[in-house]
Amino acid sequence: MFDATNFQPLLARRYTLEVRQQMAWYWQAVVIALALVVGLLISAGILVAAGVPAGELLNEFVILTLFDSQSLRAVLFQAAPLIMVGLAGCLAFRARFWNLGLEGQMIWGAIGATAISLFEIGPPSLRLPLMMASALICGLLWALAPVLLKLHLKVNEIISTLMLNYIALNFLLHLVYGSWKDPRDNFPYSPQYRAFERLPELFDGLSLAVVLALLVALFVLWFTGVSRAGLYLRFVDNSPGVARAVGVPVSRVILGTVLLSGALAGLAGFMVTAGQEGRLTHSFYAGYGFSGILIAFLARNQPIAATVVALLVATLFVAGRSLQVFYQIPFSMVQLIQAILVICVASSEFFIRHRIRRIQGGQG
Amino acid sequence: MNMIASWIGNIPDFAVPFALAALGLIIIERTGVLALGAEGLMLVGALSGIGASLMTSGSTFWALIIAMIAAAVVSQLFALMVLVMRINQVIAGLALVFFCQGLTGLLGTLMNWTNKPVPGLHAQPLWPLSELPVVGKLFIQNPVVYLTPIIFLLVVLVLNRTVLGLRMRAVGENPQAADAAGIPVLAYRCAAIAAGSALIGLAGAYISVLSTKMWIADMVGGRGWIAVALIIFARWSPWKALAGAVLFGCIEALIPQMAASGIRLPQYFVFMTPYAVTLGVMIWVAIVSRDNSSQPGALGEPFIREERR
Repeated sequence: MFDATNFQPLLARRYTLEVRQQMAWYWQAVVIALALVVGLLISAGILVAAGVPAGELLNEFVILTLFDSQSLRAVLFQAAPLIMVGLAGCLAFRARFWNLGLEGQMIWGAIGATAISLFEIGPPSLRLPLMMASALICGLLWALAPVLLKLHLKVNEIISTLMLNYIALNFLLHLVYGSWKDPRDNFPYSPQYRAFERLPELFDGLSLAVVLALLVALFVLWFTGVSRAGLYLRFVDNSPGVARAVGVPVSRVILGTVLLSGALAGLAGFMVTAGQEGRLTHSFYAGYGFSGILIAFLARNQPIAATVVALLVATLFVAGRSLQVFYQIPFSMVQLIQAILVICVASSEFFIRHRIRRIQGGQG
Repeated sequence: MNMIASWIGNIPDFAVPFALAALGLIIIERTGVLALGAEGLMLVGALSGIGASLMTSGSTFWALIIAMIAAAVVSQLFALMVLVMRINQVIAGLALVFFCQGLTGLLGTLMNWTNKPVPGLHAQPLWPLSELPVVGKLFIQNPVVYLTPIIFLLVVLVLNRTVLGLRMRAVGENPQAADAAGIPVLAYRCAAIAAGSALIGLAGAYISVLSTKMWIADMVGGRGWIAVALIIFARWSPWKALAGAVLFGCIEALIPQMAASGIRLPQYFVFMTPYAVTLGVMIWVAIVSRDNSSQPGALGEPFIREERR
């Protein structure tokens, strides 16, 4: 091509944005990885500005957390509830339901489990399964109202689930500052669970919670990938109108999936309370709701990817706690870093979907 | 009687943040951008207002101005996400809230601004009205309360009676048509996000600088989300939003009154009421009206010129 337009001055050339047809999956992966790197660099910059010595960052985040067997165990232990909320987020988003009520459902799950412990329901050998069942049911029930309201009255679920979070939170405070307060001291938490009411360690310090979370991940993988409900769900996600037209029970699929999401969040609540503290505390849920949404978003609602992302977020949680202890950096830093990562990865979609092309010639 | 008078006197303090935040959201959403970030921007306004007040040794005027500027600046991150990067507006709004929660929590602690008292503003009686029985205390308020109806009036006039307002609404109803008519869609949306966010920032600063008179992490406590719900009930109409804000102000003002009067109610159930009422009103509105005609036509849809049909 050797015509006159190639010799036009630079200013006459225009750049235009085009919507790309498709990008190969490996290029997509490269773009997303680059976005994550940018996000991590920004986060590192903020950490340094907040007073962490730059040389210590790598040591703190990677070496101390992943190459030390004790903190690796802490990461795995932390990952269990995060995997659960991440899967809960994946399920709800696959049903096109913005479940921002993960925290409220966690709170109710934990309250349900703690009630079984407090009122000593069932023999000791059955106590743990009963507590887990109670957590599942309570989380499920707390998700019931918003999904029914959305299906029947088109009430915006973002607002309704968030409002229910605040209601659940105040009810939790009512319990831990009131009738459920541990009589032995004056702190806002319930009496500690007995030894047989906590998730046991299986081998080498690996908690049952981790195994349970992986089993649930497999179940969700089966549910979304193999089961009939999963097939329906993909229909509903792609085109609710067509799904309804070909006879998919759209409302029932959405209802069931969102309830399952609530139940998993409830179980996550039990995992947190049965884990670190072994009791219901006034702020055990803090940060999990957002992380669940973030994990589902970064994993593009894929259960296996969600498990991997949850492990990374767990690393961030554990490192964040040690930063809190050693450098007095508030835990909000963890939330800020997660938000920056979401913004970067969401922005990377732009580069996957568009390309910049140069138009030759002055006419546009 | 005394109790009712002091309850009425407290209403504006609780109603003004809802009103200003809802008005800011209406400005943004009338141009077709779904704004869920109010909770986060209110936190930014609240923290920067306190920060400015502490740094300028108590200048409340500058605290409020800086809070508005700070919220407008942070909102440009949201504008970048939804206008340039074309990220789903729900995800961008949520990301903004989480970003602001993290940022304000971090800065509040690192700058040591938590629990530091600031002077706020003195109440100015509006003389003849302030002598009225029962409702008199309604007219012994700080200047921002008196300013709020004026701001509402100005925004309504601009939206409904000027070319600027007409263009804003055109951008929100049908951006393709507006674009064809030569209106720079993205510039209008960007300016609306900045202006609306400044009002939302003022709402946040009202809570921290004028009401509570100190910063506590996450102190907005869901009021931004209630404001989002409020504009849905109000069908994007400023006056209805103001009425809704007064209703929520009445409910919130009851909470301290009940504690003071010695009525024995479990306090955490009392704290639930604003959220439960929001939920209740949402359900009631959904049952009563099924019309979506007053919603801006292009709400939540990104404007992409290359995909113009």
